[in-house]
Amino acid sequence: MNKSEFIRGLKDILECEDIDLNEETNLKELACYDSLAVMSVIAFLDEHCGKNLSAAQLSAVTTVRDLMNLADICR
Amino acid sequence: MKIEYYLPANILTNADLEKQYENWSAAKIEDKIGIRERHLAANDETALDMALKAATMVLDGSDRQLVDFILFCTQSPDYYLPTSACILQDKLGLSTHIGALDMNLGCSGFIYGLAMAKSLILSGVASNVLLCTAETYSKYLHQNDHANRSIFGDGAAAVIIDKDDVSRIYEFDLGTDGRGMGNLIVPVGGARRRAGGLKEPLQEDPSRCLFMNGPEIFNFTISTVPLLYSRILQKNGLKIDDIDYVIFHQANKYMLEYLRRKVNIPKEKFHNDILHYGNTVSSTIPIALKDCMSTGIIKKGQKILLVGFGVGYSWGATVIEI
Repeated sequence: MNKSEFIRGLKDILECEDIDLNEETNLKELACYDSLAVMSVIAFLDEHCGKNLSAAQLSAVTTVRDLMNLADICR
Repeated sequence: MKIEYYLPANILTNADLEKQYENWSAAKIEDKIGIRERHLAANDETALDMALKAATMVLDGSDRQLVDFILFCTQSPDYYLPTSACILQDKLGLSTHIGALDMNLGCSGFIYGLAMAKSLILSGVASNVLLCTAETYSKYLHQNDHANRSIFGDGAAAVIIDKDDVSRIYEFDLGTDGRGMGNLIVPVGGARRRAGGLKEPLQEDPSRCLFMNGPEIFNFTISTVPLLYSRILQKNGLKIDDIDYVIFHQANKYMLEYLRRKVNIPKEKFHNDILHYGNTVSSTIPIALKDCMSTGIIKKGQKILLVGFGVGYSWGATVIEI
């Protein structure tokens, strides 16, 4: 999975149609980044990147780039 | 295996939740979590009260003096002591020459209850086991906890298991990991942190309420359950083609669908329905079994794979023949 596929997949699961999601986007400032979205992100990373992130790692994520760094096998 | 369940009369709908919490969408709750409404025990209604109702229904038409053991699975007992199962014995008018035991387990509780019942019967300790599951997690939730108030519902189930049923309960696979203790917990009120001196009511003090680390629970589930599923099939010498229906603990729709896809269970064989109940903890599996039997989704003689997992962490699986 490359960077643009990752961002596209992330946009789908976050269901943020009107957001221009990019690497710099601050996920924590998005209204759609709620507890349900976090569950979707965990599933997304598990399914597409083989990554199982802890709650602590996820809570340290601020931007889309932070998430991509944690899922480094997707570079 | 005779099963009955009881749901309390009060219903909390998604529309009710939407009115209470800003930015919490009823449509999103139903779409993602798969819950439209959940039943809540009345203020003066306990898990034991609900278990009593379910047990009364399941014993209807039977000679209740044949019951020689009660297993009561709850994490909301009436008292620290005496044992709630002892109280149930008395309220049900059962013989005093029987065993009675409380089991403190949550989402894995029904599987462990089946394992205990099978063991009691095969060892000759009992012949007819009344297994009750009942939970009132709603009473542990903080009034502002919109997430958990959306997920959990109250309810009880009762099952009678006899020697004939045991011959149709296959091998079990059980597991425990106490490292997960802090991820689904009511931290105050037990011996570790006593509640004395703290303000009432419980549901206004977040430090005394149920805490669930959703992401960690999800992580635990997606790493543990697929392996458990493979092991239980292998242990029983079965493949998914030999199984007629699969019932996982009904936690939430999204998680269940993800698990189904991950282990490749055909949709038509997989139960995913908590629309009207929410997560009733140890009762989700017996409620699903009863519903499926009532509607003909599962039929006599079919093999049903059951998987329970959650708080503890605790997990278990088995196969039963209806």
